[in-house]
Amino acid sequence: MRINPEKEIPKGFEKTPDNIGFFAPSQVPPPPSGRPQGMNRRPGGPGAMGRAIEKPKNTSEVVARLLGYFKNEKKLLLPLILIVIAVTVSMLFAPSMQGDAIDYITEKKWNSLYFVLGSMMALYIFQSVCTLFQTLLSAHLSQRIVRKMRHQLFKKIINLPIKYIDTHSNGDIMSRLTNDVENISNTISMSLGSLVSGVLTIVGTITIMLFKCWQLTLITLLTVVMTVFVTQNLSKVMRKIYKRRSVALGKLNGHSEEMITGYKTIASYNREKQVTDEFNKLSDDLCNVSMRAEVLGGSMGPIMNCISNISFVIVAAFGGYFALSGIISIGTISAFIIYSKQFSRPINEIAMLYGSLQTALAGAERVFELIDNPDETDGGQNTLENIKGEVSFKNVDFSYIPGKQVLHDFSLDVKPGQKIALVGATGSGKTTVVNLLMRFYNTDSGEILIDGVNINDIQMDELRKNIAIVLQDTVLFSDTIGNNIKYSDMNASDDIMYDAASMSNSAYFIERLPDGYNTFLTQAGANISQGQRQLLAIARAILADPKILILDEATSSVDTRTEKHIQNAMVKLMENRTSLIIAHRLSTIRDSDKIVVMDNGRVVETGTHDQLLELKEKYYRLYITQFAGNEI
Amino acid sequence: MLKYLKKYWLWCILAPIFMLGEVAMDLIQPDMMKEIVDDGVLMGNLSVVFSVGIRMILLVILGGVCGMLCGVFANYAAQHFGNDLRKSVFDKIMHLSFQQTDKFSTGSLVTRLTNDVTQIQNVVMMAMRSVVRSSLLFAGGIIMLFRQSPKFALITFCGLPFVIFIVTFFMRRASKLFSLVQKGLDGVNNVMQEDVAGARVVKAYVKEKYELKRFDKANDHLCNINLKVQSLLAYMGPLMNIVLNSCVVAVILVGGFTVKDGGSITPGEIMASITYVAMILHGVMFIANIFQTFTRAKASIERVDQVLNDRIVISDGECTEQNTLSGEIEFKNVSFSYPSSSGKNALEDISFTVKRGETLAILGATGSGKTSLVNLIPRFYDVTQGEILVDGVNVKDYTLEDLRNRIATVLQKSELYSRSIAENISFSNPEADLWDIKRAAEIAQADDFICATPFGYHTPVTEGGHSLSGGQKQRISIARAILKKSEILIFDDATSALDLKTEADLYAALKRECPDITKIIIAQRIASIKNADRIAVLENGRITAMGTHEELMEKSEIYNEIYCSQLKEEAKN
Repeated sequence: MRINPEKEIPKGFEKTPDNIGFFAPSQVPPPPSGRPQGMNRRPGGPGAMGRAIEKPKNTSEVVARLLGYFKNEKKLLLPLILIVIAVTVSMLFAPSMQGDAIDYITEKKWNSLYFVLGSMMALYIFQSVCTLFQTLLSAHLSQRIVRKMRHQLFKKIINLPIKYIDTHSNGDIMSRLTNDVENISNTISMSLGSLVSGVLTIVGTITIMLFKCWQLTLITLLTVVMTVFVTQNLSKVMRKIYKRRSVALGKLNGHSEEMITGYKTIASYNREKQVTDEFNKLSDDLCNVSMRAEVLGGSMGPIMNCISNISFVIVAAFGGYFALSGIISIGTISAFIIYSKQFSRPINEIAMLYGSLQTALAGAERVFELIDNPDETDGGQNTLENIKGEVSFKNVDFSYIPGKQVLHDFSLDVKPGQKIALVGATGSGKTTVVNLLMRFYNTDSGEILIDGVNINDIQMDELRKNIAIVLQDTVLFSDTIGNNIKYSDMNASDDIMYDAASMSNSAYFIERLPDGYNTFLTQAGANISQGQRQLLAIARAILADPKILILDEATSSVDTRTEKHIQNAMVKLMENRTSLIIAHRLSTIRDSDKIVVMDNGRVVETGTHDQLLELKEKYYRLYITQFAGNEI
Repeated sequence: MLKYLKKYWLWCILAPIFMLGEVAMDLIQPDMMKEIVDDGVLMGNLSVVFSVGIRMILLVILGGVCGMLCGVFANYAAQHFGNDLRKSVFDKIMHLSFQQTDKFSTGSLVTRLTNDVTQIQNVVMMAMRSVVRSSLLFAGGIIMLFRQSPKFALITFCGLPFVIFIVTFFMRRASKLFSLVQKGLDGVNNVMQEDVAGARVVKAYVKEKYELKRFDKANDHLCNINLKVQSLLAYMGPLMNIVLNSCVVAVILVGGFTVKDGGSITPGEIMASITYVAMILHGVMFIANIFQTFTRAKASIERVDQVLNDRIVISDGECTEQNTLSGEIEFKNVSFSYPSSSGKNALEDISFTVKRGETLAILGATGSGKTSLVNLIPRFYDVTQGEILVDGVNVKDYTLEDLRNRIATVLQKSELYSRSIAENISFSNPEADLWDIKRAAEIAQADDFICATPFGYHTPVTEGGHSLSGGQKQRISIARAILKKSEILIFDDATSALDLKTEADLYAALKRECPDITKIIIAQRIASIKNADRIAVLENGRITAMGTHEELMEKSEIYNEIYCSQLKEEAKN
């Protein structure tokens, strides 16, 4: 059972009637535990504290799918349910045994007393053992399901089309995998047993009570109705105010995160006061709303306590009356008192569960929503072996958002081994060309051919294996530098790795690191500079040894002198490979076999550096601003 | 930490007092139940049932009211305490010097402000309610039980050590595992984050299967460790129940013996005693529980204290008389090393002067000290040796506000906030009207793309500016700096994501519209800065050459090398 730190002793429920009740032999407070603090990775998320209770849109469907996960767990599920039934039934008998024991003392039936006490002890031990297995089984069950769910979710995410990832915030995707799955897991492990045993307890208790004395049962039920009524109304109000609190908390956390990460700007513009005032206002808002929420939540305990005592007096009074009339014995009264307690416990529990169940279902719905997204298509059947590396774009149109066309009738022929530079202003469509060639996105019309084969007819893996890409935003993984270079082929020999490193000019800095190639990159390479990260990405591409190479602003963060050193390596790298280069620096571009100047998604000029300069058009102007004419 | 609570001392005293009321009612209640059972029900005296019953209900209501009031007071104190603490932590963070923020890291500061403060607040709350309640119930329960029957009290004392042993045993084991759970979770999150952010590379290298394997490893690890914790704790509840229920059976048994031996124990007494036994043992469990929260909160308190007690390294100077604003900067033999680095100087013996309206460009390789140099002017860091004068006064003599009002810096990494574009620009100058904002955006070459967004200047920027391209973010940051209308403008590689034409237009507009502003520009491309009044070439923390483009072409080898690397053929001609 895992509980949030805040919920360790659920606020407002510290004092459920059971904890101080008349007889409370088998209730134990929630195990002292909880998750270590800071479990929530994103403090800004509203999930950090006092979760809002959300409602799933399509409850029955979500429940059905969630139950689907249990289907394959019959080996665990069946014993679990059997044990829950056993525990519940044994709990139903315990109070009546206690009542019997007290009756035997009044009646001085000693042998019967010893017998009852002995069986009570046996029953309690049996109960404890069963509870132990119940908890163990449900822990296994929930972890198995969570493991599977996470695996499925991650598998989906990794196979999603890039489009999905580009159009959804990373935080949102992450929170499904962490917060939502955690939520589901907590609820599964906590609620499954409680739900089954709760329902069983209610039904069982009513049955036994009816057998003992139906008149008193009706009276007891009346008090239960009262409890339910109060709980329902209180929790309705509470839900609202808790939601308001989590909104306030979300706002405050969002503000803190943003302002603290952006503190440099605040300091340089002397905006500390304004920002602090904003913070204080949000903080006050939170303080006020959470005070109300906590006070309200805190009154739940005392109110429930009152009600349970009132029902005790009612049961005692009527019980006394019935005992006088000879309908029942003293032991029965004591048993009834326990039963009426035993009754309100599962009702309270189910009421509390209802909220977390709703939240979990809403989370499950989000998880399923993501899982239901179609995978990236596999592509065609063709394989690419020993390709020459001829690439051609034929009349390609493309738009990310329908109606906003990014590429217009884009055509380009690249011969094997040729170096092509794409030049143009930001937003002219250069990166889109790369996205289409890698099939991160599919063309709207027109076709892209590699060695004369439409890329839609090539197996996706085959296509990508033959193209290496170095991006502007370098992606490194939390692994050793060596493994990052070997990323394309983890089985590559160290010698190949050394070659790749020295060709990319990264060997120099790697060897100066204390652990050399075994240096572990923390936080995806936060411990080395941006320029060094780009060098590693280039080394990785070199090791991949592709037929087609794409460099998208690959050297933007490397200073020009270092870049010059890489240039030589790049020239070597690009030999016998078809290369597409995107760069702002014309110096990087000049040596290309062909320069393609793009403007608003169209090719406006193509030719060599000299040809284009003679044209004195777009490229010439770009070149002049770079070299001669710009003023400061 | 306690001084924040001092303000609310009255509430802090009232809360436990009312809690005392509530607990007293709770303690009396089983006794009255006994009276109802023994004197009323057993004796067949219904009037006793009613009279005691009504008295009991009234007392219970009184107890409930006490409990609620205690809740109100405790909440008032705890929430306001948390609020005050949160505010002063935030205020402190806002006034930390950069080197301190570097030391803590922004991520950790956010956690301290949010999670840790909440944790502490919860503990204060708990201290006022649960601690008081549990210990009162525990002590009261023992007293009441002794009054009921010393024998029964003895039984409880036999059970007590078992409970304490079980609780401490499991707590100690579990708390070790919890930190492992956290690590496991971090592992899963880490793979996830990397792969979502680097989806293109994963796909480009066809590594989906490899990444899935990597994730499964982390996932399995987390599930196993979770299972370990849960399995461990699974033993605790049942063990506790056995102890508790054994006590209950023992109480009934001893009660039976007493009656058998001719002693007088009534069924009501037995029932009441069982309740007290449960009360005492539960009290122990709760106290143990609270202990655990306390130890965890202790870490939080330490972390928050570290922030609150960190001495602010860079503070206001003795503000001398108001001097004229001109925008002159002078470096006199400045050396600087980062406090965290081991003595190695990032800057060595830097001296130069920049006049009003002049443009100084700084060129140099990554790591040569360009950013460090400009960070010293607005005192983001303090020089280690030498001095920097702005408008003839040592920067250390200004108040920070006065100094920083004279300087507008555009950082390497654009920091935008989730508010409208207009508000992001006017962040530097809240009094500016939309016309001023538009003017600044025009100079920064941002007006065109802003007007093309759905709501123009009112378009909201998403968190961290993810909805904008790198170049757009940079231009908004530049507009913000221009709108500040300071006499010194610093661009720290602020145009790196702009294409050449936009960059050229920007510099042209800047020269035309703000001729009197002193500009310091860090750049990578020579073309960007070729026309600067002077160019400083930085190499390993030293200025190796300084002069106009032409001068440097003649005398500086490094400058030539950089120039050639960027525009090689032309250099020969």
